[in-house]
Formats: sequence, C-alpha cells, structure tokens
Amino acid sequence: MISNFVTMNGYGLYVWLSFSIVFISCAVVYFKTKKTLKKYEQEFLAELRTLTLEEKNKALGSSKVAQQILATSFKTN
Amino acid sequence: MFKIFSPSNIYSLIQKLIKFINSIFFLILAIGLTFALVLSPPDYLQGDSVRIMYVHVPSAWIGLACFSAITFLSVLNFIFKIKNFYFINKSIAPIGLLFTCLAIVTGSLWGQPTWGTWWAWDARLTSMLALMFFYIFYILTFKLLNEEELIIKISSVVAIVGSINLPIIKYSVEWWTTLHQPASIKITGSSSIHAQMMTPLMVMLVVFLLYAALIFLMKYKTEIIRIKKKNIKRN
Repeated sequence: MISNFVTMNGYGLYVWLSFSIVFISCAVVYFKTKKTLKKYEQEFLAELRTLTLEEKNKALGSSKVAQQILATSFKTN
Repeated sequence: MFKIFSPSNIYSLIQKLIKFINSIFFLILAIGLTFALVLSPPDYLQGDSVRIMYVHVPSAWIGLACFSAITFLSVLNFIFKIKNFYFINKSIAPIGLLFTCLAIVTGSLWGQPTWGTWWAWDARLTSMLALMFFYIFYILTFKLLNEEELIIKISSVVAIVGSINLPIIKYSVEWWTTLHQPASIKITGSSSIHAQMMTPLMVMLVVFLLYAALIFLMKYKTEIIRIKKKNIKRN
C-alpha cells in the first residue's frame, strides 16, 4: 500500500515532482517576502532613530502606521 | 469615498489578517493534501496522474484572477486616480506571475504522461505563456522605470492590453481544436467532475487562495512601510 502511494501506479515521478515544485516555489517566495518585509521594518526603525526627539514625536504623532510599525517591532524583537 | 482604502486604515487590518491566515493555513493544507494525495480516487483514464490537477487548476485560476484584478484596478486608477490601487497592483503582480509559471510547469508535467508530450503550441498553452510574458512586462515596468507617473501609465497600458488575452485563455479550448481538454467545471451549467474529485480541488483552491492572500498582505505591508519611510522626514 505504501509502495503504491509512493509510485502512484507509475505516475509517482510526475505527481511528486509537481507537488514538490509547487511547495518549494511557494516556500521560497514566502521566505523571500518575509525577509524583505523585515528588512524594510528595520530600515524604517533605523530612519526613525536618526531623527531628533521633536521630529520623532511629530512623525509618530502624525502617522498611525509609524506607531503600528514601532509597536510591532517591539513585539517581535 | 475611497478613504477606506488608505494605508493607515488598512495597516492594522493587515496585521490581524496575517495572524489569522497563519493560524489556520497548515490545518487546511494538511486536509487538502490528505484529500488530494490519499482520499481522492484515481481517474479511470488518467490514473493517478490526475492528482496533478489539484495543484495545476488552482494555480491557473489564481494566475488568471490576479491579472483580472490588476486590469480592473488599473482601469479604476485611470478613472479615479487612486494611487493606492497602484501599490495593490504592485503587490498582486508577483503572485500572479508565480501561479502562472506553476500552472505552466505542472501542466507540462501532467501533459507528458497523458498526451505524451511536455509541450505543444496549442491555443490554451500558448495563451497561458503569453499571460506569463504580460506579467513579466508588467513587473519590469516597476523594476526598470523610476518616475511613478510614467510607471502607472505604462503598467496600466500593459494590463489593459494583456486583458485581451484573458477571454482568449478562457475560450481557447472551445474556439480551437486543442490538446487541452475543455473546462470540466462551469459556474453556470453542470460540471462534469465527480464530487470525490471536486472536494479536494476546492480545498486545495482555498489553500492556494490563503497563501496568495498571505503573500499579498506581506507585500502590501512592505509597500506601506516603504512609502512611510520615504515620507518620514517630510512630516
């Protein structure tokens, strides 16, 4: 039964190769996208650190998104 | 009217959606794979090679759906000049390209045992290949051009011209004699696929849709951060 499952009655190569290509490609895209997102989050925080206290408060006060990025980075770090 | 689409309103929703998708994704994937690889029966003609359908068909559908969405949003962007649609399109395009390529590759792997060939210059296969090139042209406009206004104009033209290919893909199996079989699943009218195969196909479609949504949300979140980073010193 297990051997039937693996060989798929002679179509195993095509079936397993199809599923593998799909899942490996999807995993690569997922990790690449996640890495880019993290990179931009870090760059945003680094940019925020270069600001003076007054500029920082102004930037955070006027942007809900900036506050949320900051909050998320604290949670994940 | 379109304030609901502003990045500030959407950002917190994105966070919640990413968490939600992450929490259910692997469970649905496990169910989908069990149905697709174990529980669904082999086809009476194609045998177990029919299981490739469970990754090939959802990939093709999502590839087509992404380009339809890009065209629709490009037209809206032309009319209403909503810049946010441009960022949404920029986030959708790589997902569409990924799934179109996967549909072509898995289709080729399905074609070899059933048709006896990896590739044929048949109407459906060629029109899918054309879709892949439209995606590449569309993404290249973002990569090669610098001026935002020009990118919006050229990418919208590529999307609108490319949309002519969508009905060709859909009806190619009816308009021409092709190696590719006609549609088994119809929104209007009865489908010729058995429920035992339809269930895994629908579960795998949900898995692929969740994955596409997850990647879209992450890419869109990246775009929002990129814009905010650019504007941070202007505030």
